[in-house]
Amino acid sequence: MHDMQEIFNESAAGLDVFGLFTVSPYILVSWGIMLFLTVSSILLTRNLQRIPSKGQAMLEICIGSFNNFCKEHLGKPWRSFAPWLGTVALYVTFCNLVPLFGITPPTKSFSVVATLAALSAILIYSAQFRFLGFKKGLKKFATPSPLLLPINILEIFIRPLSLCMRLFGNVLASYIIMEMIHAVAPVVIPAFLQLYFDVFDGLIQSVVFIFLTTLFLSESMEEAHS
Amino acid sequence: MYIAIAAAIAVLTGIGAGIGIGIATGKATEAIARQPEASGKINSALLLGCALAEATAIYGLVVALVLIFTQ
Repeated sequence: MHDMQEIFNESAAGLDVFGLFTVSPYILVSWGIMLFLTVSSILLTRNLQRIPSKGQAMLEICIGSFNNFCKEHLGKPWRSFAPWLGTVALYVTFCNLVPLFGITPPTKSFSVVATLAALSAILIYSAQFRFLGFKKGLKKFATPSPLLLPINILEIFIRPLSLCMRLFGNVLASYIIMEMIHAVAPVVIPAFLQLYFDVFDGLIQSVVFIFLTTLFLSESMEEAHS
Repeated sequence: MYIAIAAAIAVLTGIGAGIGIGIATGKATEAIARQPEASGKINSALLLGCALAEATAIYGLVVALVLIFTQ
């Protein structure tokens, strides 16, 4: 357990930029994922045809089903949100899958996850004012009854907190468990457990993150029934 | 030593989450058996409920880890 102290230590090792500041390893891994996603998006959409090839058909199915999911939950204004939700879904998924290659996942860092959750909260509440109008958006905080006003205001902070705690806690827990198992049995056994903790749990958590953001969004855009 | 005991108590939150998710999954299985055509909606509701129920266990875990590692 020699490296247990490093779990909370975010600036363990990083890239030193001209001695001015250090870039944390999480940011480096994030940049790598962003580079990979950008390059693969450009390569996959470079040569689109009317009659799709195999790869294009796969891509169309994936994006079509994601758009359907957004349509189903968000209704009419789905188009404004689908690109953002899809991007975050891809980013979180790849962040959670990165430990398969022996790299520390960026989602293990509290600041990365908190940023994602804060962005979700900004999206949710700006959508409320954008699609309901300023007056109705304010009124939304007093629904279903004005008595719930303090609770609705508390929810502005509770929602992103629970979103980020959920992702952070799950990734951190699976990381710690995998570290312990690596220390006890370094070969063969971790492979099967990694399938559960990194692939299964990682995918579930990214789905849950996007699903909850979508649900909060659709709820915040609903017209008040009063 | 007190810190270890405190962390152990914090992790007891897992009991509630386990019972809650167990009940939810049992009911969802029953519902799917009764109405297999609604399985998509049931699944998404179950996923959401499990995610919300699991949060308490995660809070307990985070509190325990903070207690142990940030003295």
